[in-house]
This record gives sequence, structure tokens and C-alpha cells, in this order.
Amino acid sequence: MLFFSFFKTLTNHTITVELKNDISIRGTLKSVDQYLNIKLDDITVLDELRYPHLSSVKNIFIRGSVVRYVHLPAAEVDRGLLEDASRREAANQAGKAK
Amino acid sequence: MSFFGFDTTLPRDEPRSGKSKGIFEAQDPFAQVRQARKLQAFQDTQEEPLEFDDTYDGLGDKLEEAGDDFNDDTFGGGVEAGTISKGQISKDFDFFGQTAQVSSAIEEEQLRYNLQQQPKASTTTAQTTAQKPKKTGYEKYQDPGYIPEIQAKSSVWGTKPQARNQEEQPERISTASSGAPPAKRMMSLEAVEAAMRAQSQPVPPPQQVLAPDHTQNLYQQSVPMRQYASPDLQQHPMATQPQPQPTKPIQYHQRNASKQEAIKPAQHPIQILQNPNRAQHSPQPSQDRGTIQDTQPSRPSQATPTIPVITHPQQLMQLSEEQRKAYLEEDARRAKRNHKIFLLSKGNGLMTPQDKNFITRIQLQQLVTATGNSGDADPEATLAEDFYYQVYSQIRGAPRQHPTQPLGHFAQTYLLQTGGRLNNRRQAVNGDNHMQRMQQQVQRAVEAAKLKPKNKQLIIEGSLGKISFSNAKTPKPLLNIKRPESTDSKPATGKKANAEVRSSDRKSVLRNLETVYQDLMQLEDHERQMPPPPTAGDVEAAQTHMEWRQKTQVLNSKLWRDLKVLEPIVPGSTVPHPFIAFLSFAKGKKSIPRIFRHIDQEQRVTILTMIVVHLDQLDVISRAQIAPGESHPPPLVREEIELFSQVVMPCLLGYVSEAPINIIIGLLGLVLDHTTVLTVAKTKIGLGILTMLLSRAELVKESGDVNDEDWQQWTTLYDRLFDTLEPVLGALFPGPVNTSDDMYIWQFLAAVGIGASPEQQQRLVLGVKDRVMETVMQSRTLPADMSSQRLSNVNLFMRAIGLDVELLG
Repeated sequence: MLFFSFFKTLTNHTITVELKNDISIRGTLKSVDQYLNIKLDDITVLDELRYPHLSSVKNIFIRGSVVRYVHLPAAEVDRGLLEDASRREAANQAGKAK
Repeated sequence: MSFFGFDTTLPRDEPRSGKSKGIFEAQDPFAQVRQARKLQAFQDTQEEPLEFDDTYDGLGDKLEEAGDDFNDDTFGGGVEAGTISKGQISKDFDFFGQTAQVSSAIEEEQLRYNLQQQPKASTTTAQTTAQKPKKTGYEKYQDPGYIPEIQAKSSVWGTKPQARNQEEQPERISTASSGAPPAKRMMSLEAVEAAMRAQSQPVPPPQQVLAPDHTQNLYQQSVPMRQYASPDLQQHPMATQPQPQPTKPIQYHQRNASKQEAIKPAQHPIQILQNPNRAQHSPQPSQDRGTIQDTQPSRPSQATPTIPVITHPQQLMQLSEEQRKAYLEEDARRAKRNHKIFLLSKGNGLMTPQDKNFITRIQLQQLVTATGNSGDADPEATLAEDFYYQVYSQIRGAPRQHPTQPLGHFAQTYLLQTGGRLNNRRQAVNGDNHMQRMQQQVQRAVEAAKLKPKNKQLIIEGSLGKISFSNAKTPKPLLNIKRPESTDSKPATGKKANAEVRSSDRKSVLRNLETVYQDLMQLEDHERQMPPPPTAGDVEAAQTHMEWRQKTQVLNSKLWRDLKVLEPIVPGSTVPHPFIAFLSFAKGKKSIPRIFRHIDQEQRVTILTMIVVHLDQLDVISRAQIAPGESHPPPLVREEIELFSQVVMPCLLGYVSEAPINIIIGLLGLVLDHTTVLTVAKTKIGLGILTMLLSRAELVKESGDVNDEDWQQWTTLYDRLFDTLEPVLGALFPGPVNTSDDMYIWQFLAAVGIGASPEQQQRLVLGVKDRVMETVMQSRTLPADMSSQRLSNVNLFMRAIGLDVELLG
């Protein structure tokens, strides 16, 4: 749930989602669920010339499984907290694995 | 008519006129139950806002228990009350056998019935036709000459047989209701209409077809404006409607107006007659559920709202103006409420209680799984699962609500809402029941969820791992490879042995670091759970507080152990001290402020001492030595230095700025004795720490509470330091003059200058004179703001020894 928890804090911030088919979409993250499905608003496609069919799309729902990368706004990430959250997650996982 | 005598016509599709209202027009046999309960509830809670449950609930209980009333009729097996088949047909659900007998059984039953009740009126032919699928039971009414038997009906009502004309009906009914409170009010037309609208009449059981007089009776009792008119019936409206229309509404109302007690005696015979079986073998489940349900499901007239008994229009005329007004008001209110009931009841019966329970169960299970198993359904678990988000939104003040409330919260809210609603009701019989069921449901769901977690994984024999099922928390669990215990434990012991030997290799240092972080998080968690300070006399609170403190202590000592500050110092060892190694990682540096929050002063001074003793081993000092020809340490080191001065120095400073002089003396002594001062002094951090110590000593001296002995000691140390540094004063500056970042050096020089004797000040000035002049010269070529910046740095030092750059011209 770390990623879910993490992405939830990015709602209403602009992120860039790179899909597994190489399309990169930038938009405002509206919501994310535990499958890391993503809802973006006001999207723009980075390489619009190659993907003109998306130029008229304003908002988009991305299935979590097709996402390759999510580019984060660095200012919105609390690294220390993220480190701690990762530690907790790891501890949880370790606890569950036993 | 359909198989069970139901019609699919919806109430709203129904013609609302006073046209023929046969018994079978109401197609839903359970509508009566509903209706009865609704109205009963309405009646019982007259003063209260309409409750949805009242108009809605409990239906299914009826369904289950009462719904099989007609099975006998359908399958021919239920004539046990009759003369023939009680012994013959077992209850073993031999449907085939029973169905085979159905036609004869029904026929016989009908025969018996008609013979008993109305030897005159019934014609066997009519009854036999009634067995055909399309029968309505009203065939005989199609004969215009047919006159239903009224007398039997009248006798049922406990009145003497009377003619069936409309003038006499009201009277008869008013006698029936004479036991009720005196009639005060008369229905207004709207009220009557509204009441009727709200009162949709369901179908009595099919057997009633066979007793025309009874159907007639029923019909008179409950003339509904909106009937579920079956197409068949509408073909012969007049035949079923021997009575003139105008009186009907009133009659109906009168029926309802009379108190239940007045009606009951009359009803019973009818019920028994209409369905002999039922009175014997189908006890109503509702009857033990309280007043609301003590009526037979198929008895429309039992749902008697507490309408003031106005048995005759003329009664209204006799009322005083006031009374009439009050009555009309009441009436309007009632009409309004009836209308509301009607509106609310539109969707009635769409879902059976079983359906509702099913949905509720799904929802509850969803709630349970949404937070995982209920065992960790507390805020802590939420925090563990959703740590980043929760803390982040706290830190950044996210206005959003936490979307993942723990289950307990959810379920409680849900239940409390229901409870709150119920508390407002005087009659919570029904609701309590509902509530209890809800609670049980929640409990069951929770328990089920507790039992479940083991099923989250499926281990196929012979496979390497287990397959996990997804839930809301772990939507897509991967193959969960089982870790053999042996591989886990062996390295652990091996590592331990290793750790003894090489406690400072990179891996083990990193591992130590993580342990420290774990400890820190535990401590922080623990801190969050701090019980409120105990009030005097509250033994239990004091007890918990004590326990909490003890736990804190344990965690603290664990943290302290894991920090390895007190590992023995091995002089001359090439392996750095574990704590110093710890500090060489950015993570370690960052942890210092957090650690300082949890340790006491003594531990802080120990850490400070540890750092000072190993000053020249600190990575920010040892690696920050500037190679010849360079003006900066490598970028990575600079980052570390930056981090150290931002994170660790404030902590140390925080302590030093309150430290007594003897600590300062001790620390300076350690620097001089244990470290290479020249190395230390050539770095930003080293100079920073020296500046810290020197300026603190100066401040303490100025505050006056330093005894001479201490001061003597301090001066000696200071002299040693000065002597050591004097030759390299000019070399403290890392780069040429144009290096902008030299403020810390001027600060250090200032700190040295303040404490220096006049003779030392002179030597100091001599040592850095060149640099001062260069800087001043260079600053003249710089833009104004940079120039003033440089000059003010220099001035920092100059003023400390009583000079000013202005004097330099």
C-alpha cells in the first residue's frame, strides 16, 4: 500500500505518466486507487505529433497495469517521510512473510 | 389469473375509480401485510415522523412463513383441515403425488366449502370452472341475476342479517364499531381519498373465491380506490360491485375508523372461514413480534389507522365548530401522511428482506476487507498501512478527510445512525429488531473475517510458493515465495559473528543505521501512544503511565545500544568507530536530530564527546581536506558537509550553547589531545565546532559565573590552540581570495580574536593581515551587494579585535 499511500498525496498535482506503449501523458492527478489506476485531468500528450488522437482528450483514466513510470514533482515528495514509510512497509512485509 | 392468483399490474397503473373492486384485484398477497404493518405502525406512532422502516420492514418474515399458505392450495396437499386428506398426504414434499391430486382435492375442498357456507348460492359448476387456469372466481358474478349472499357476511360481523342495500351498510358497520371511542369527526373528502390512495388492497387467498359472500364482505370492508385490478375482473366490474359507489369510501373508512378491538372478533370467523387451514397451521411470525404484526397478512381491514370514529356523515354535522375544525386539521395531516406513505411505498416489495440482508452482508464484508482483517482495524493499523499519506497530510495540512477510516468507525457510525433514528421513536419494537439483526450481522461479518485470513493464500502441493488472493489492501498479490527458515536464520548467526569482527564495514554500518531507524520509529510510535498524564488518585492511569515510561526507557536503551556510541574506542585502529562510521552516511547524519529528541542530556553530551574525540575521523573532516591546487572539496563531500552543518551542527550547538564551562574545557581538551588540530582547522565543520566551543566559553565568561580555576584551565587550553594554529592562520582559507564561501573562517577568527589577549590579537592580525587586505581590495571590484557581503565578513573578525575595515581605508 506504500505506493497507493504515496500517490494519494500527489492528487491535484501535475504528474507525467509514461505508459508501457511509450506514450507520456502529463496531467493533474485526480485520483488513484489501490490498483494504481490513475485518473488524470487536463492532460497533454508529450509527443503530440505522434499521438494526435489524444489531442482532443481532456481527461483520462489509466489502468494501473499499463503504467511504466510516473514522473513526480520533486517538491511534493517528502523524502525523509518516504524513507520511513518504506521502512515501515518493509517491516510490515517482513512481519507478514513470517 | 396467474398461477398464484397474482397480477403483475402495478398499483399506479390501476384505474382509481370506484369501479369494480373484487377481492382478486389486489394481486400481491403480501401487500396486505405490508399495508397492515405500515398503517399499524403509522397508527401507533401517530405523533412521530414517518419511519421508513414502518412502512417497509418485516415483510420478509411474513414471506417466509406465510408464503406457503397457498402451497397447499396450489399443490393440493394442504387440505388437512378439510375432510379428506389430512392423513393421506404426508408433508414430505411429494409434489408430484400431490400435484396429481390437485384437481380433485381442490374440487372437493370447494365443494365442502360451499356446502358449509352457502348451500344456496354456490354452484358446483362455477367452482369447477374456477379450477381452470384462467378462473377468477367471479364467473358467477357475470350472471346479472346473481346476488351474492349478504346474510352470511352480516352474521360474520356480529350483526343480524340485513338487506344488502347501501342505506343499511353504514349502520351495520357503525354497530360493529360501537365499541370504539365515540365518534367525533368526519372524514373530509380529501382525507378519504388520500387514505384510500394509501391503502392499496391486496388479494385475499384464492380460496376466498369460493365463498362469494365472503368476498363480498371483504370487498365491502376494504373498498380500495386503487386496486390491483386483474384484467378478468375488469371485464365484469358491475357484477362484483353490487353496491352503489358513493357509500363505499365512507364504509371503508368506517371500517378503518373503528378500533381494532372492535373489529377483531368479527374478523376471526372470517379468517377461519376463508382459510380454515391458515388459522390452524400457519401461525404468523409477526404475531410474536408485537403489535405491528398481529394482523393476518391477508386482512386489509386490520390495518386500521386511528381515525376518529366517524361512522356516519351526520356525526360530523353534530360536532361543534371547534371540534370540526380540529378534526379537519387532523384529517388533513393524516391525509398528508398517508400520501407520504404512499410515496414511500412505491418501491415496497422490490427487495425482500433476504435481498436486503444479502446486500448488507456484501457491504459489511466489503467494509471488513477494505481494512483487511478486522484484527488490525484500529488507527494504528491504518497508520501502518497508509503511513505516508496519513503523516504527509498531517504535515502538509491536507484538508481532505482520510479516505480509509477503520472499520470500527464505519460500522459504528452505521449502527449508531440506525440507533439514533430508533431512539427517536416511541415504538422501537420493529427497529430494535432490525438493529439487533444489523449488529449480529456486523458481528458475524467481523467474525467471519477473523476466521478468513488464513484463506488468503493457497498453497498448491509441490509448488514453490503460495498463491495469494487479492483483497483491497493487496490488490494483486504476487506469488508468495516461502522463505525457508534455515536460509533466514543461518546468515543471521553468521552475520552476528562477523559483526563482532568487522563492525564498521559498510554493510554492517548500514544495517546498524536501519536498526537505529527502526528504534526511532518505535520510539516515535510509542511517544504517540503516550497516555494522558495521570491525575492524582487515578491509580489505573498512573499504572499505564508507569508502564509507558518503562517502555520508553526500554526503547531508549535499545536505541542507545544500537547507536553503538559506547563501543570501546580502539586507539590507532584503522577501522573507524561504529558511531563515526554511522555518521559518515547521510542517513546517519539525518537521524541525529531525531535521536537527539529522544535522548537525555547525558546521552547528548556523550554523543558530542564522541564526535569531538573523533573529529578528524569524521568524513566531513577527513575527506574534506582540500587537495593542493583545489579550492573545494569534491562535490559529494561538499554535499555531506552541507548536510552535516545543516543537520548535525544545530543539534550540537543546541547542546553546547547551554553547556557549562567545564564541559567546554573538556571538549577543547579532547580536540587538542586526540585530534590533529591542523586537519580539523582546515575544514568547515572542524572550524565550526571550534568556533562553537570558543564562543561559548567567551559567553560563559561574560556572564560571570566562571570560577578562576576553570578559567585558568580554559586559558591554558586556548593558548595551546592558538599556538598550534598560529602558523597556519593564513592557510585556513581554502582557496584564493575570490572564494566567496569564507564566512565561517572569519567567524572562527572572530571567535579566536575575542578570547585572545592583546598580544595574541597582534599575532592574529599579523597572521591574517594579508588575507584581510586582499579581501578588502577585491571587494572594491565587486558589485555593491557582494562587496558589502565580503566586507561584513571581514568586519566580523575586525570588530572582534576592536578594529574595522573602514580603518583600512
